[in-house]
Amino acid sequence: MTSNIFSSAVSGMNAAQIGLATTQHNITNANTPGFTRQQVMIGARPGDLSGAGFVGQGVDVAGVKRIYSDFLTTQVRQEQSQSSYLNTYNTAIQQINNLFADPAAGVAPAMQSFFDAANGVASSPESIPARQTFLGAAQSAVNRFHDLDRRLTDIAAGVNQQITSSVSSINTYSRQIAALNVTIKRAIATGNGNMPNDLLDQRDQIINQLNNEIKVTVQNQSDGTVDVAIGTGQTLVIAEQAMSLGMQKSASDPTKLEVAYQSLTGPVAIQQSSLQGGNLGAYIAFRDQNLEPARVELGRVAMGLADAVNQQNKLGQDLNGALGASLFSDITPRVTANYNNTGTALLAATVSNLSAVTASDYQLNFDGANYSVTRLSDNTVTSLGATLSAASVVDGVTFNLASGTMAAGDSFIVNPTANGARDIALVTSDPRNIAAAAPIRATAGLSNLGSGRVSNGVVTATLPLNVNLQAPVSITFTSPTTFDVVGAGTGNPTGLTYPTATGSLSYNGWTVQLTGTPATGDVFNVATNTSATGDSRNALLMAALQTQNNLSNGTASLQSTYSQLVFDVGAKTQELGITSQAQTTMAAQTLAAQQSVSGVNLDEEAANLLLYQHAYQAAAKAMQIANTMFDSLLAIKQ
Amino acid sequence: MRISSNTMFESTVSAMTQQQSQMLHTQQQIATGKKLITPSDDPLAAARALDVTHSAAVNAQYSVNRGAAKDSLTIAEGILGSITELMLNIRDTATSAGAPSNTDGTRQAVANSLQSSLQQLVGFANSQDGVGNYMFAGFQTKTPPFVDTSAGTSYFGDDGQRLVQVSSSQQMEISNNGADLFMRIKNGNGSFLTQANTANTGTGVASLGSVTTPALLTGNNYSVTFSVAAGVTTYSVNNTTTGLPVAGMTAQPYVSGQAISFDGLKFDVKGVPANGDVFSVAPSTNQSVFSTIQDMIDTLKAPVLGGNMAQLTAGMAQGLAQLDAALQNVTNVRATMGLRLNELDATQAAGDNLDLNLQKTLSQLQDTDYAKAITDLTMQQTTLQAAQKSFTSVANLSLFSYL
Repeated sequence: MTSNIFSSAVSGMNAAQIGLATTQHNITNANTPGFTRQQVMIGARPGDLSGAGFVGQGVDVAGVKRIYSDFLTTQVRQEQSQSSYLNTYNTAIQQINNLFADPAAGVAPAMQSFFDAANGVASSPESIPARQTFLGAAQSAVNRFHDLDRRLTDIAAGVNQQITSSVSSINTYSRQIAALNVTIKRAIATGNGNMPNDLLDQRDQIINQLNNEIKVTVQNQSDGTVDVAIGTGQTLVIAEQAMSLGMQKSASDPTKLEVAYQSLTGPVAIQQSSLQGGNLGAYIAFRDQNLEPARVELGRVAMGLADAVNQQNKLGQDLNGALGASLFSDITPRVTANYNNTGTALLAATVSNLSAVTASDYQLNFDGANYSVTRLSDNTVTSLGATLSAASVVDGVTFNLASGTMAAGDSFIVNPTANGARDIALVTSDPRNIAAAAPIRATAGLSNLGSGRVSNGVVTATLPLNVNLQAPVSITFTSPTTFDVVGAGTGNPTGLTYPTATGSLSYNGWTVQLTGTPATGDVFNVATNTSATGDSRNALLMAALQTQNNLSNGTASLQSTYSQLVFDVGAKTQELGITSQAQTTMAAQTLAAQQSVSGVNLDEEAANLLLYQHAYQAAAKAMQIANTMFDSLLAIKQ
Repeated sequence: MRISSNTMFESTVSAMTQQQSQMLHTQQQIATGKKLITPSDDPLAAARALDVTHSAAVNAQYSVNRGAAKDSLTIAEGILGSITELMLNIRDTATSAGAPSNTDGTRQAVANSLQSSLQQLVGFANSQDGVGNYMFAGFQTKTPPFVDTSAGTSYFGDDGQRLVQVSSSQQMEISNNGADLFMRIKNGNGSFLTQANTANTGTGVASLGSVTTPALLTGNNYSVTFSVAAGVTTYSVNNTTTGLPVAGMTAQPYVSGQAISFDGLKFDVKGVPANGDVFSVAPSTNQSVFSTIQDMIDTLKAPVLGGNMAQLTAGMAQGLAQLDAALQNVTNVRATMGLRLNELDATQAAGDNLDLNLQKTLSQLQDTDYAKAITDLTMQQTTLQAAQKSFTSVANLSLFSYL
């Protein structure tokens, strides 16, 4: 009987000791990330049958278990993956949020200064300082575009760096998970089915960290191992085997880095958009959906400025009396050959009509017989027939072969404006090259008797200029209502009726207004605008480009296109700010729910300490009593 | 509900972090005076603010342009004022010089004075603005437009008129070319010119005449030939363009000062024409003010032979009339400039008004509402302080304190 009490007391003291140790473990690990509180599972020993019935034998410790909810843990994982995705995305896009609207770094103030300077030239076309200011403002606008472009390129390089390091984290985590799978499997086998709680916590924690990098799906196996997959089912960890991800150049666009899956047979390209959630998903989404489009759009504004100013300058006459030339360099679209092309072709793409150009990428395909161009933003396909020529134009971009021939299946990616902000450059440093004057002027003969007047004239032709634009033409009135036009290129028509139907007269690419009452014999001359230092007709037109809708098929001005860019980035940032905050709250709530089950409450543990202490003391007391009983028994014998 | 000890700390920390970031934002709004710190604060307002800033900048540029236009017009207007004054002086001098009591010597002196005035006038016509541009040269502002040649003062400019964008919808002419100002002035009475043949020996002086019926004007040349037979003076009018005599105008009796009218025009001849004297009538042509003055100088310099003042009287009368026309022309241009200056002031007022509106819109879009921002800040401060205070008291609660 006494031995029974002894063994029962010992079992109680043992159980209390294990309880104290577990409580202590919980307390010390209260701040350990991923720790799940543990609880001692105890059960009463079955009683011995005696005459008085079953007498209890004490307590058995069945094991130590994790207070763990699989459901809540999975939910926390989902929310945290989304939360880290949104937070990282939000942090990344903040880098460009204020870049465009910043009064110091944005392009808008620089373009404004440029057009202010153009107005300055229009007000005093003969002034070299005004022209110098114009070139200075043009250069500073160019610098601003370059700065912004470099900033965006730097950010892109940084993002690629982040993607690479995220991929290497993912690889590390998957190796660690595979290693833990091995350890856990072995521990379960040697532990007679007892769970290695702390190892499981550790593995869960690593899965959580992996999940912060990229969204994973976890499959529990019966032997205690887990399988981990990403994206559209690519397995990262299967039992004790870890696969890895790697970086490679995109086949269709070798300028771009892509995440690839390292299978046993070598790297396999993954659809990048399938890499969702987590930091990696955020970086890829930011790079492909915001950063690159912003750069392309900025390029479109830069090209819009360069193209419009160049065209206008070519319609004018510079201070040396020569026809204007380009002030900015011509910017060519970015053309990238597919990595797998087998033909020898080099594709030449040029912008022929900037107004029609969109910010999308275009893919030129050759199927062996016919060429076609796909606009990648909406997958609209335009067939270009069997040969490429200067007439192969899609959305204002001319696709032509520079050299070589294409093989079937070859493709090229063309982005018309991607290099705009990078390549915009001023090609002149001579202020006299600004074509402020119009190349022609109309003058009424000094001896005209009538009151007929002629306007100074405007150049109405688009480029290329009419070859006879500056050929001298005379308009002679043969009567107050008829006139002849004589000069190269006009076809020398006679007997035209005055006033003309439109009130104006157009030949050789110019238009003049004829008004008043001319007399017979009156002569009006149109000729080269020699030594026209004071003429600012073309400068006025150049200054007016600022408010003209030259982009997006004539629906957007430079300014509105730029505002749209600021709006797009701002709106996305705002959306991310709101959703990431909401998601953070959501993740915190889910975590709180999970922690309310699995987390350590120190008050509770303090109570448990007292509980087990008392249990231990009570069991010790029972042992003391048993001892006393034994002593009493011995005393009887004396 | 069971609460994990960590959750308590973490949730408090995250709540406080959030409040601090909100406070920082409000504080930035107060410190910068801008409601929009970054475009994401309100993308629509940020994009609109950019557009409005752009409109305001364009409007400001128009204001600068208006300043330039005003400067040019004011300078030109001033010079035209001097020109008007000079021409009035020339007119006074020329008027007095024609008096019959003057001697050849007096007239010579007057002619010399007119010659220097003419030089001065050419000087004015070649005026340069502050930066050395010839103001009345059209587009060719670097070359002097009026140059003395063997054929008199000629114009080497063009018809160019400089324009300045003074508002989004309006371009204003800020220059007037020399051709319109000084060269294109009709001689005679503006419609036709009567001239005595240089070989005339009588004392007949033709008046400038006037148009009676514009519809009947032919634009042809005529000659009026006088013949004196038996003390009776008659005249006949021939159309020299067609070579035919004008109907009903053959051998008409001449009465000094009586109107000679045909084909919608009329003029008279005063004095005593000699037999064979001829007066021509021709449509007016353009004559520069310089050539008009030069003609008067030449007329004054020519000695009066035998007391026959006919050439002198006719020449001076014609010169004065043409000078008046030139003066009228300059005055008209000057008036146009005045109107443009007025218009500039009106446009300026409209531009200032627009600027005010734009600034107001911009302010509404991006400026901090201080009352709201400070209220927000106070509220956030209170919340944060409460959170901090409650956290310290909650964090102190631990069963371990009692063990």
